[in-house]
Amino acid sequence: MTVMRDTVVKSLAKINIQGDENGLIPEYDVLVNLLPASLLNTFSERIMAAAPPDKKSTVADGLVRAAYECGYHTGCGIITSDVFNDVVLPMVTEGEKDILRGAFAAFTAWGWAKSGIVQLKEGERMVIRANDYYEADSGGEGLRAYMLRGLCQAFFDLTYADPYPDGMDTFVCHQTKGIEAGDPHGEFVVTRK
Amino acid sequence: MSLKLDFGLDNETFRHYLNGHAVVMHSHHYLALITKLAEELSDIGGPQLLKDVVEESMWAVLNDYVQKNGQTSPLQRCNVGREYYSVYGLGKMKVSGTERGGEVCLIRSHIDEGWIKKWGHHTKPVNHFTCGYIAAMFAVAFDKPAKSYRVTEAESMAVNGTEGTFIVTLS
Repeated sequence: MTVMRDTVVKSLAKINIQGDENGLIPEYDVLVNLLPASLLNTFSERIMAAAPPDKKSTVADGLVRAAYECGYHTGCGIITSDVFNDVVLPMVTEGEKDILRGAFAAFTAWGWAKSGIVQLKEGERMVIRANDYYEADSGGEGLRAYMLRGLCQAFFDLTYADPYPDGMDTFVCHQTKGIEAGDPHGEFVVTRK
Repeated sequence: MSLKLDFGLDNETFRHYLNGHAVVMHSHHYLALITKLAEELSDIGGPQLLKDVVEESMWAVLNDYVQKNGQTSPLQRCNVGREYYSVYGLGKMKVSGTERGGEVCLIRSHIDEGWIKKWGHHTKPVNHFTCGYIAAMFAVAFDKPAKSYRVTEAESMAVNGTEGTFIVTLS
């Protein structure tokens, strides 16, 4: 048996989180927050619009970096969590490839993007297709799924780079298509840096 | 907690909803880096832009809740904002004040504690996000539009490691 994506998505999607008695959500070895997607989109859109032309790529890199570090550290907590052990690990028969499949199922289940791996050359290259993601709703011009770029890179680093926390910045992700730019789906290509 | 929480899931897209508004999970790494990005873009108004975006977004969420749930008194409405803050995992606050303004004490803080976890103590207040949130909370509590209150972070948990204090004044 390999990872059955739909089963994992359905199991993990049922989980709701909210703050504890201190108003904090300590999960997956990080502090989690739960925020309106519109707030995050509006910030990205406005900060990009405010940046002068010579700073726009730096600002975009900053948005991707925020998602990348979030994804790298939180992703490690997710793939070593009890819930991941309970739901995903029993299906893992193909090692790292299955861990990555499970991680992208979690990625979908928690509402980051309805997405999956469409091409994988282990340790070298991955293509992700996303049929729905909240960043597709943001205003602005061009490809702007900064969050997804960062998360795709993070998950590939966690799977194929040096073990956590030494594998940061081994791979890089480029967005090649976007629903927000009129394409039928988003496409994200991860390659070695 | 008196806040009604209706968590929803779109079975087609797997987007998550809380009381009808799409929500998404991230970690303290994300908000710490977004805060730092805003700071680094001070020359183009980054911190104020972050405050404004949070205020506008949260005003819409909080106002929607009080309208749908028939909450009319400032105390009830303020409590909605205070409890939402904790549900979102942003921390725990104590609020005092009137229509003219007030003070908010932050006892626990996702953003400040996250900043300290990531980089240690800072030399100046960084919780622009919560300034915007409090401005929205006061505006909804006293049935005013966004941008009705000005909020300044007088004491910072990211600096002192203990508590944050925010001063609210009517604009």
